Amino acid sequence: MTTTSPAPEPTASGTAVRRKEDARLLTGRGRYVSDLTLPRMRHVAFVRSPLAHAHITSVDVSEALETDGVSAVFTGDHPALASVSLRAQSGLPGYVETDQPPLARGKVRFAGEAVAAVVADDRYHAEDGAEGVDVEYEPLSPQVCAWASPEEITDPVHDEAPDNVLLSRTFRAGDVEAALAEAAVVVDREVTTNRHGGNPIECRAGVARYEIADRKLTFWSGTQVPYIVRTQLAGLLDLPEGNIRVIAPDVGGGFGVKAVLYPEDVALCLMAMAMPGVALKWVEDRVEHLLSATHAREHRYVLRAGFAADGELLAVKADAWCNAGAYSVYPWTAGIEPLMAGGLLTGPYKLAHYECTVRGVTTNTSPSGPYRGVARPSTVFAMEALMDSGARALEMDPIALRRRNLILPADIPYTMPSRLVDDSGAYEACLDQALETFGLEGWRAEQQRRRAGGGKPLGIGIGIYNELTGLGRAASAGPRMAFRTGHDACTVRINPDGAVTVFSGVTSQGQGLETTMAQVVADALGVTYDAVEVRIGDTDESLWGFGAFSSRQAVIGGGAAHLAGEHVRGKALALAAALKEAPVEDLDLRGGEVYMAGQAKSIISLAEVARVAYLQSDRLPEGFEPGLEGTKFYDPIRGAFAAGVQLGALEFDPATGEIGILSWVCVEDAGRIVHPVIVDGQIAGSIAQGIGGAMYEHLVYDEAGNLTTGTLLDYLMPTSGEIPELTIGHVSTPAANPTGVRGVGEGGTLAPNAVVAGAVADALGVEVDDLPVTPASVWTLLQGVTP
Amino acid sequence: MKCPPFDYHRATGVADAVATLDAAGDEGKILAGGQSLVPVLALRMARPAVLVDINHVPGLSSLEVRGDTLHLGALVRHLTLAEQDQHPLLAEAARWIGHTAIRSRGTVAGSLAHADPSAELPSVLLACDGAVQVAGPGATRRVGAADLFVGALQTDLGDAEMITEVELPVPDGWGFSEFARRHGDFAVVSAVATRFGDRIRVVIGGVAGVPHLVSPPDSTPDLLTVSGAVQDDRVAEIADAAARGVEPASDLHGSADHRRALTREVVRRAVAQLAGTPTSDRTPVPA
Repeated sequence: MTTTSPAPEPTASGTAVRRKEDARLLTGRGRYVSDLTLPRMRHVAFVRSPLAHAHITSVDVSEALETDGVSAVFTGDHPALASVSLRAQSGLPGYVETDQPPLARGKVRFAGEAVAAVVADDRYHAEDGAEGVDVEYEPLSPQVCAWASPEEITDPVHDEAPDNVLLSRTFRAGDVEAALAEAAVVVDREVTTNRHGGNPIECRAGVARYEIADRKLTFWSGTQVPYIVRTQLAGLLDLPEGNIRVIAPDVGGGFGVKAVLYPEDVALCLMAMAMPGVALKWVEDRVEHLLSATHAREHRYVLRAGFAADGELLAVKADAWCNAGAYSVYPWTAGIEPLMAGGLLTGPYKLAHYECTVRGVTTNTSPSGPYRGVARPSTVFAMEALMDSGARALEMDPIALRRRNLILPADIPYTMPSRLVDDSGAYEACLDQALETFGLEGWRAEQQRRRAGGGKPLGIGIGIYNELTGLGRAASAGPRMAFRTGHDACTVRINPDGAVTVFSGVTSQGQGLETTMAQVVADALGVTYDAVEVRIGDTDESLWGFGAFSSRQAVIGGGAAHLAGEHVRGKALALAAALKEAPVEDLDLRGGEVYMAGQAKSIISLAEVARVAYLQSDRLPEGFEPGLEGTKFYDPIRGAFAAGVQLGALEFDPATGEIGILSWVCVEDAGRIVHPVIVDGQIAGSIAQGIGGAMYEHLVYDEAGNLTTGTLLDYLMPTSGEIPELTIGHVSTPAANPTGVRGVGEGGTLAPNAVVAGAVADALGVEVDDLPVTPASVWTLLQGVTP
Repeated sequence: MKCPPFDYHRATGVADAVATLDAAGDEGKILAGGQSLVPVLALRMARPAVLVDINHVPGLSSLEVRGDTLHLGALVRHLTLAEQDQHPLLAEAARWIGHTAIRSRGTVAGSLAHADPSAELPSVLLACDGAVQVAGPGATRRVGAADLFVGALQTDLGDAEMITEVELPVPDGWGFSEFARRHGDFAVVSAVATRFGDRIRVVIGGVAGVPHLVSPPDSTPDLLTVSGAVQDDRVAEIADAAARGVEPASDLHGSADHRRALTREVVRRAVAQLAGTPTSDRTPVPA
């Protein structure tokens, strides 16, 4: 008798399965914090400082308390809040720890800082009450520039840091001065990048309710990091961690802005504890968001690079200033941008001699925090500017110069000069594919044609980058915080009916993590995608996850999901083997059915195995405990670098400065792709945000520290009309983690600054040192070069 | 971003609206499409005591050509302006207003009464030498475009007056050009060029508190050669003169010098388009 094995079940991973979130998110049935209504709920509006830097001399809340619908007003000195401070901690030498009060105490440090909070029946009444809070200020000298000379600092932002420097660190490898002395050419650049921020569709939102009888606090929060929020709240509120439940339901975008625990969040929880049984809701509006949610990317780099005659990059010397804003962002610290900048500046290029001093400088502006791509859109711009300057000095093709210096597969693992270990090496493969897709020769010919025959000048820009994703315990050690974000947990539970519920520590702000986790578990366990349901975002449901940042969740949460799925698969097969008296090594679990090697027909279903495990203990073989579930943690120890290359062809109208994007190509290495449409969506969305930062988005303060771009009328977000058709390609070099994936959430943001600025230089022969690149800036640059 | 308290009155007719406004003194405000007013209320930059909603007033949504002039009821929405074919310049300009959601709510009279110097419709009204019919506590009156716009966001309208109808002569030729940072944004600088008979008018938006009317160097510019080609030199002369004649301010989206350069370019484009519009392209107007 001959038997044929059935065709292998198609895997869920690698296919564009229907997203589990789509039914509710695409039909308006999402459940966001903003939608949440609870009995006896009241609404909060914050009174915000109109001044950038001032002593608070008095706060009079009497008129506010008499406003219709207002039930309470809190200030920084209220007993419920007065002793609490957010203090971002790091063990880095020289880091200056500072306090951030939930509501300002004694002085305000940026325009928009929350000074008081009004609780009322609805948000209208709360805003009416907020107008009735009378705060008197005694102005101090504001400082908005992070690279001002020390003598310009009259009134330090924090007394602990008279020079406003909260953190400074020097990265060193080799001997930069000696290498520069031997260089055939040395180039200098000085560049600045523009402050902008995340701007998710749903701004920050929270509902806090405290039950005094059992001292339990529930905090519904549109956060990317519910477990970090719970841990930090436990310390700040002096509650046992188990008494706090943080729930992040559907969240309308995050981009890093919601990976922060904000003073408003803490104030909301403290006020809820002072008003037990009353749920307090705060939904941030766009004006508040632009004014007081974390900003990012306002950096300055003073750079010097040395190249050998053949184009070899010999040395990079850099000084960097990152505007940290008024407070050291909690809990990440003011080191978040400068440490990333110093660690990743040299990107995908081999380099032995490196010296880079980075600083996080506090100013009277909204605090800086994590934003998709943290620091690297700026560093890629800085590094690619050096490469372009080097190519011009050497009279070498700029792409050939880059190619000459790329980290190659043979170099892997490559220890970068910052001692981060690059495991990718796919840069040249990405470059080759990107150049072919883009059609470089055709664009060069078009450029020549236009130069000869008139027509708008055309330029080609390029950005090559290495995105550090899925940082394990070693890679996340840099900031020396009180926690290492290297691991996540996942629980896979087979229900009595054989269906699967996954309790994952990941969170989702729209990027489809329920789908991705279900795909991974379905394949690891041996069930269909449809049989898997995923629960995320509730600290009382799933064991642990650090959350969404550093493009970590597919790598780390996915790794945990895979390991948990495999683990429970082993348990199920062992039970099946015992039940069917078959050798376990001959059994396989596919599509929810258990097969014996060589047999086409299943010997037992997973549903029956589960029924025994939960309901029929009489059938449980000797040595088996009831139940069928398992929990695993995963930590990749290091991380997975994701290579990427973007190329753009842009044209410029000399009469107006108008910028037209004619072609945009991105080729990235996402490792093994779990869901092709989600991956392409992440890349497209991050490129769109990158183009926004390169050409449109700019948070501008005047010298007095007033935000002059306070609404979306002046803070320009790109719409679909501004984003060109994107051509996205992939090379796939699986990473050494359980699913082979490389993080893909942020890489797209890294190159657009470099591409746009590089295209201007290529088209017009002028170096772009300052971002954003706008029609006004292009036109202004052109006035210097055309008669 | 929640409105401060206000009383709401749904007007049943023009007289009712005017009477309610009159009773409110300078504390009343008309709510039409709400596309500018509601954001201003939400930001608490304005706090009228009474909002008079005219959306249910009958008879304010008509659109008809009488003689050589398009007559528009106050409540005609931008979307309708963009879709009509009796005044092609108006249709083109309306397509540059905001986005679909804004165009489906915003009204022609609302935009004119708001008088944003960067908005499209005030420039079109002035370029067509149009006028508005205004109802007030006393008699109704007619206000010409040149008198309507007094300053940035300021008109000649009294506190208790409302625009009931817009009169927009249909030009014999036209050109429209706008430079904005993004699709749907207010113009950084825009230009509208019209020709009525042998007279051309050029209006520039975004360079002053009110739409800026350029006086071309002569009234019968010979913009076309005998063979019908656009006279680039003549167009450039007009554009240069227009750019010399404006004193724009600097702001986040462009310096004064950049705005002047933009003025030159958008005027050049609009006048070139005007010159390139043969008379026969003019949409026939029913008698």
